[in-house]
This record gives sequence, structure tokens and C-alpha cells, in this order.
Amino acid sequence: MNVFHGAVLGTVLQVMIQILKDMGITEYEPRVINQMLEFTYRYVTTIIEDAKIYATHAKKSTVDADDIKLAIQCRMDQSFTSPPPRDFLLEVARQKNQTPLPLIKPYCGPRLPPDRYCLTAPNYRLKSIQKKVSVSSAGRISVPRLSVGAVSSRPTTPTLGTPSAAKAGAPVSLTGQRFTVQIPPSSQTTVSKSTTPSTPAVSNVLINPSLIGSKNILITTNMVSQSAATDSLKRKHEDDDDYDAL
Amino acid sequence: MAAVQGGMVDEKEEVDIKTEPQSDGFVNTNATDGRQLSPSPGSSSSAGSSKTAAGAPEDQQTLLAVLQFLRKNKLTESVEILRREAGLPEDALDSKGVDCGAPGSGGSAGGVDGLDAGSLLSRVTVSSSAGTPAPTKAAVADDQPDVSVVLSAYSQQGDPALYKVYYSDLKKFIESVLDCHRAELSQVFYPLFVHMYLELVYNNHESEAKAFFQKFSGDQECYYEDDLRVLSSLTKKEHMRGNETLLDFRTSKFVLRISRDSYQLLKRHLQERQNNQIWNIIQEHLYIDIFDGMPRSKSQIDAMSGSLAGEAKREANKAKVYYGLLKEPEIELPLDDEDEEAENEEGKPKKKKPKKDSMGSKSKKQDPNAPSQNRIPLPELKDSDKLDKIMYMKEATKRIRLGPENLPSICFYTFLNAYQGLTAVDFTDDSSLIAGGFADSTVRVWSVTPKKLRKVKSAADLNLIDKESDDVLERIMDEKTASESKVLYGHSGPVYGISFSPDRNYLLSSSEDGTVRLWSLLTFTCLVGYKGHNYPVWDTQFSPYGYYFVSGGHDRVARLWATDHYQPLRIFAGHLADVTCTRFHPNSNYVATGSSDRTIRLWDVLTGNCVRIFTGHKGPIHTLAFSPNGKFLASGATDGRVLLWDIGHGLMVSELKGHTDTIYALRFSRDGEILASGSMDNTVRLWNAAKAFDDLETDDFTAATGHIHLQDNSPELLLGTYMSKSTPVIHLHFTRRNLLLAAGSYAA
Repeated sequence: MNVFHGAVLGTVLQVMIQILKDMGITEYEPRVINQMLEFTYRYVTTIIEDAKIYATHAKKSTVDADDIKLAIQCRMDQSFTSPPPRDFLLEVARQKNQTPLPLIKPYCGPRLPPDRYCLTAPNYRLKSIQKKVSVSSAGRISVPRLSVGAVSSRPTTPTLGTPSAAKAGAPVSLTGQRFTVQIPPSSQTTVSKSTTPSTPAVSNVLINPSLIGSKNILITTNMVSQSAATDSLKRKHEDDDDYDAL
Repeated sequence: MAAVQGGMVDEKEEVDIKTEPQSDGFVNTNATDGRQLSPSPGSSSSAGSSKTAAGAPEDQQTLLAVLQFLRKNKLTESVEILRREAGLPEDALDSKGVDCGAPGSGGSAGGVDGLDAGSLLSRVTVSSSAGTPAPTKAAVADDQPDVSVVLSAYSQQGDPALYKVYYSDLKKFIESVLDCHRAELSQVFYPLFVHMYLELVYNNHESEAKAFFQKFSGDQECYYEDDLRVLSSLTKKEHMRGNETLLDFRTSKFVLRISRDSYQLLKRHLQERQNNQIWNIIQEHLYIDIFDGMPRSKSQIDAMSGSLAGEAKREANKAKVYYGLLKEPEIELPLDDEDEEAENEEGKPKKKKPKKDSMGSKSKKQDPNAPSQNRIPLPELKDSDKLDKIMYMKEATKRIRLGPENLPSICFYTFLNAYQGLTAVDFTDDSSLIAGGFADSTVRVWSVTPKKLRKVKSAADLNLIDKESDDVLERIMDEKTASESKVLYGHSGPVYGISFSPDRNYLLSSSEDGTVRLWSLLTFTCLVGYKGHNYPVWDTQFSPYGYYFVSGGHDRVARLWATDHYQPLRIFAGHLADVTCTRFHPNSNYVATGSSDRTIRLWDVLTGNCVRIFTGHKGPIHTLAFSPNGKFLASGATDGRVLLWDIGHGLMVSELKGHTDTIYALRFSRDGEILASGSMDNTVRLWNAAKAFDDLETDDFTAATGHIHLQDNSPELLLGTYMSKSTPVIHLHFTRRNLLLAAGSYAA
């Protein structure tokens, strides 16, 4: 909790008001002063705590000016970074500007960077559910089950190959992502035990709606038969091959 | 040993002046240690040690200082070579060393009177003339002379206490010259004041700095007030470190344009005097662009000055700029088009005359001022683009011709209850969609027409549609979630810049979180986040042909990107402060950037070079607008003025005064007749742009010297002022038929 003691608060408040006046700021909401007070309190305590740590590290009994300076410097590099200096920028710019502008490939659909740099990948992964051999009987209707696995912070690249063993329930709405939808057929009598998670008919609908240009929609559906289920389902989307070649 | 002249001495000159053996020594030293050393015989700081003849002890001291430096850095071979060449005896070094009192340790500040060799080296001293016995305080050395920083730092030019005296002397002199020269020479005051102040601060003379500031800050021009306020809070060297703008100011040269006569006057005066510290500062930190001709008047100077780096050098504005427009592609109109426009065939210029000349390619001749079609790669036209173009041409025939007697109607879109804080607005070119960027990091898109916003259907549904039907493009759209507006979430900071793509498929937004995001308007999701600026990005804009976009931010650079590259293609670096506004030229070959350093720069997309620098604004620039014919640029800033610039010649054309607060929106009408400006003072003003550009007469003299004669005709050019109900105007847009749309958020 940020608590300034009463008497101190009054003077600090005056200081804040004076600072605003000195910098020529005449119009401000009254809450700004409170924010400044909070910031100051937090900043000063952080610096002093850091300085105490440095002092004890240097085996000094008291905190002195050097410790404070070091604390300020470290904090500055961490929180209050400033943009790179001008000569560095000029040098970087000079190098960057030397390369000629790349030519534009014609008839390319939407022009986006390679998938790794886009945000178009699914940010979830569906956990596979192992079908229990003994228990489930014929009567069990496969309830659409959707379990979401770990959400990876990086967009994964599902370009080739699928998020394996996906078992999803009701069609998930398309939000610019590629995903696999498995709809367990209702008419499943025997549960065949298989090492891989059961793969009933898979209707694999893969669409990247961002690729929908004026007339180049490609909807591919792969129906994979039950027995010969292979997990690798190749997408027939030509554009993606071009993509990854970028 | 030769006495060394005053003035700017760089390594070469020193070598020439000194006698041979020494010069070799110096050259060797530099070669071997490879550092940027510019040791100079500093005569100014030799107080305390016994002064004999003017030259000898100082040079010796310098040599010894260099030796000390090399020793400290363990370059023993260089030490040997230098000692041999310079003919210094072994013990001389040591005894001098003792004298100097542990220079190796760098010397602690203060208390080291007399010569401190380390401190000598820790400064770049530009010597004053040898005969000056100016009493100097002991040089204050830094604790650890950090070479790179220090070498670019200020040197101890003289007694800090005397700075006030020098400055007042100069003031008196300038006030005594002829009127015609006085205005020009007064330009010197501000940069001199700032540099002297910063020097005092840098060398830790805090009290003198404060006194100096107090005495002379009031004399400066009023438009430097904001800078001075920032300066006043800077009293210690540590304060300077974090402030990038000031650091740039220190290292870059402030440009002044002075006529030859005035310059001679000044030079003569300063060189006559004994203490030409000011002359040194001028030489080191100012760049004086001398021209032959009449001295400029105060009003002329005032019009062009105000930027953080002075004015622009004349060479900066001499490069050829292709400001013409690219040729419109010939478009085959479909036969069943009942429109009266005739059919164009590819390559054949003859056709029935359309209403607008600029639409078709009337002349086969290449405009000499236009860039060639493939100067920069541009995306080819897709079928949908061709359809758009046809629509555009149709609309253009129905366009209202504007003029002083025929002012546009203004339709104001007020964002009510925008508690989220509206920070950016954009319209599509056909005015069918509005996007708003908010301080709560959302982007909202509205449909202005009765047609609602629709997303593409989900995958399962797409499966079910008939792919062969003619209206498949409508069928893929999801009717169930159609709505008037959509919200786009993704940014983690206020959204400061928004731009629709010309084909209405994409939306760009730039935010305080340092990223620029590309959103798809078909699925209303985010496609890409372009990371490059690590600091707030203040503005972004798509190129008029799509595919490229430019962004500018707090890191003082503007970047050119293409949608399919995750890194920028070009970096436009050169501004001294944040880039606040970025605009493409209509031919997409140039980018204009306005900045907080109060200059506008025009950059060539092909090479990344800065081809124009426009100075004259007295506040950060917040909006720019190119005229539709590509020849002129209009800019608006916090000082409430709109300035018009001729790009070809690089000159200011006109100044439109009238607004009382920051101008945030500028737009030319579709045919360039009217310029509309919107400001924080809740008004929209219409200006007669055609008249402002008609009166342009650019003769050779103007072009050569950069003198401008601005007429004070703002009142005549102002066609109308329209007040809104306490709603600052942050965006303006002319529809294809020349209706003016304005947008702002109601500030109760």
C-alpha cells in the first residue's frame, strides 16, 4: 500500500503541483497528481531497496551515494529505456536502404509474410481422448467433446501435417485459423481398439479465410476412411506451398 | 614548436602545423591504436603550471597527455614510438607525471589544480588564440573519461563565470549593427545560448548554468519557449543522458542562413576580440550556410526558422524529386456498360472524350516530373481493382466542382460516448467504412452505408454452399453475424494510427505497444503484427496502390514495410525527435514525415534518402496532406498554422493563419481546389488552395537562395470557418463526389 504520512503528504503534493506548473502544464485532471504521487513513491522505494541490496552485496554497513547511483542506472536501463542514438539509427538505415526493393510476385492472393510471422495459426491444441476399450459400449453416443490443450504462446505452424489426433465436437467457428474437425460418426457400433486414437471419419476442412481473394476459394475435404486412417493429411491448398517458399 | 591557430582544428591540420617528427608520432599513434584521437595543443587549460612562451609547454603537455593515455591503455609499443619520435626524455615523462598528481587514475573531480594530463585528454579542446591568458578554472575531469562520449562532449572553453560576459558582449555588438544585418545575426542567439548552457551543465557548473539561463532565456524568440522550458529542468549532466533529442541536438549542427555581408561582420568582430570562445562554439556547433545577396528581413527569417536544427541547408533541397503522378492504367470497360464513357482499348489513346481529363491517358508523352512506372515495384491490378477503378471513374463524373463560390457541404461524424478515448480515425476511399482507434486499445469498424458488415462464414458452413453459383461471393458471407460495427481486439496500448487499404480488404493500426497490426476486413481478425519499432508508433498509412505501408514512431525513424515482409524494407532515419505523421505521395515513390523536431522531411522510397527538408513550423507537426496533383504539400502543427510547400523547388509557398489550436486534420479536395483543415479549436476551415498556388512565382533568385516572400493573405484565402459543438476535429475526408466528411469525438 502506498501510504504517505500526513504531514509529508502535504508538502509532496505541493511539490507535484509545482512541477506541473514549472513544466508549463496548466490543464490537467486532478487525478494526475495522485498518479504522480503513486509513481514517485513506487520509484523511490524501488531505488532505495535496490540500493540497499547493492550495499549489502558490497559488504557496506550503510547505503551511500554510489549505491543509489548504481540503483538508478540499473533501473533506468530496465524500465526507462530510450530509443537508440542517432548515429546507430543512421548506420542501420544505411544498411537497410542499400538492398533494392524486392519485386512483387504477381497473382499471389493475399500477400502476407510466412506463416511463422503471422497470427493466423490456431492458438490452441486439442487434447486427444483415449477411448477406453472395455467400458464404452455400443450405446454410448459419442458426445462431442472438446478439450483444449495447452495454449501455446507462439503461433505454431500447422502448415503441413495436422494437429494430430484432434477430436473436436461441434464445428468450431472459423476465426481465421486452420484446424481439424473430427466428427465421430453416430453409427459406430464397435469400438475398434487401435493404438492410435480412434479415427472415425475425418472430415478435414481446412480453410484459411485470409486466402479468400476474389475468386480463389479452395475448400478441400478429405474423407479418410476408418481403417486406413493415417494421421498425415495433406492439404491441397496450393497457395501454401508458395507461402512457405517465401 | 609552432603556435597553433585558433579555430576548428582537425587531425590533418594539426599534423601540418606541427613539426615533422611530431606529426609522424601522432599519425602513428592514431594508426596503431586506431582510436579517434584528436589531441590538440590545448593552451586554454594550462593555468597553474608555469607559463613560459606561448607554444612550448602546452604542446609538451599534450604529448605527455597522449603518452599517458596510451600507457593507460597498455599500448606500450605506441608509447615507445611516440616517445622516440617526439624526442621526449624518459624521465621527463615521469617527472611530469608526478607533477600532474596521479593522472593515471583519471583524477577526481575538483581540487586538482594545475595540469592534469588525463583531464587534458578527456576533452576535445579547440584552442583559442595562443595569446590569451584567460584565467581558467582547473579543468574538471570526469571520473573515468569515457572516450567516445567525452570526445563528442563539450570542452572547457573558458571560465564559466565569463560566459555571461561573452554573451552580453555579443548581444551588445549585434544590437549595434545596421538594421539590415541585425535580424540575420540575431539568429545566432538561440543556438549559442543553448550550446553554452549545455556546456556549462555538462561540465558540472550548475550554479553558473542556472544564472546564465535566468539572465538570457527571456531574450530568446517566443517560439522557442517550449524548448527553453525543457532546458530549464536540465541542471545536471545526468539529466542530459536520457534525453535523446538533446543529445542529437548537441552532436548535430544547427544550420543558419546568413548573407555574406552579415557573416563578415560577425566574423571580424569575433576574431578581433581576445576571447573568441564564442567563435569556437560557432565553428563547432553551428553550420552557417552563406549566400550572396540581400540580407533577409526579420519576417522572412521568422517564417523559416523554428525547428530544432535550424533551417535546411540549400543543398538538402536540391535533389530532383519526381512529383508527378503515375499514369493511370488503361482499363477496358465492359461492353455492356451503359455508361457514356467510351471503350478504351489497350494502347490506343483515341476515345470519346470523358468528362475528366485526368482519368484517361490523354497524352502518350511521359510527364518529365513523373517517375517511371517501374521505378518502384508496384502490385499489379487485379480484377477487383479494375472494377474499383471503373466505379471510381463513374463517381468522378458526378463529382461537384468546388471553388470559392461553390463550397463543399460538410458532414460531421461525431463519436458520442467515446469514453474509450478516440485517438485515430480513417475512412475508406469510397467512404463506405469508418474505423476508429481508441485509447483502450480496441479498433472499431463501422459501416456508414446501409450495407452491414459481414464476416466470412465458418468452415463447416462454407462446406455447404454451392461453389459454382454466380453469387458465391455473397454466399460466403455470414448473414447471421452481420452487424453495423465490429470490434477488433489485439493491441495492448492506445491505437494512434489507422489506415484502410485501397482495396478495402485490410486495415492497419499502429499503437503505443510498438506494433503495427494488419487486420483482415473479410474475417475481422488480426493477420500480422509487424514488430520493429520498440516504442509507440504514432502514425501509419497504406500506400495509394496498396501493398506498401509506412509507419513512424517515437524511435525517431519512419519505416517502410510491405505486407508480405515481416521486416521493414526501408528505414528513414534523420529526424531529431519523434516522427508524428507519415504520408505517402500520390505516386507512392515518396514518403513525407512530420516530426516533433518541427521539420518535415520528404524521403525517396527507392533509395531511402532524404530529398527535402522543410522548416518553418514552430511546433510538432501533426498532419500532412499532399495535393492531388502531387506538386504541393500542406502541413499543420500545434502552432495553429497551415504551411504550404512547393515540393519541386523545396520552398514555402504560403502560410495560412487562422486556427487557434493544434491542427489535427488536413485534406485537399479531390481536384485540389480547396484545402480543408480541422483543429482542436472545434472548427473546420476551408482555404482556397487554387489561389494560393496560382500566385506562385518562382524565379531563379528565389530558387537559388531560398528566400521567400510570403504574402500575408490568409484572410483572403480563408473561405469559411465552421464550428462544431465542442468536438475537436481529428479527421477529414473528401468523398469521391467532393462532399467533405469530418470526424471527431464529442468532448462534453
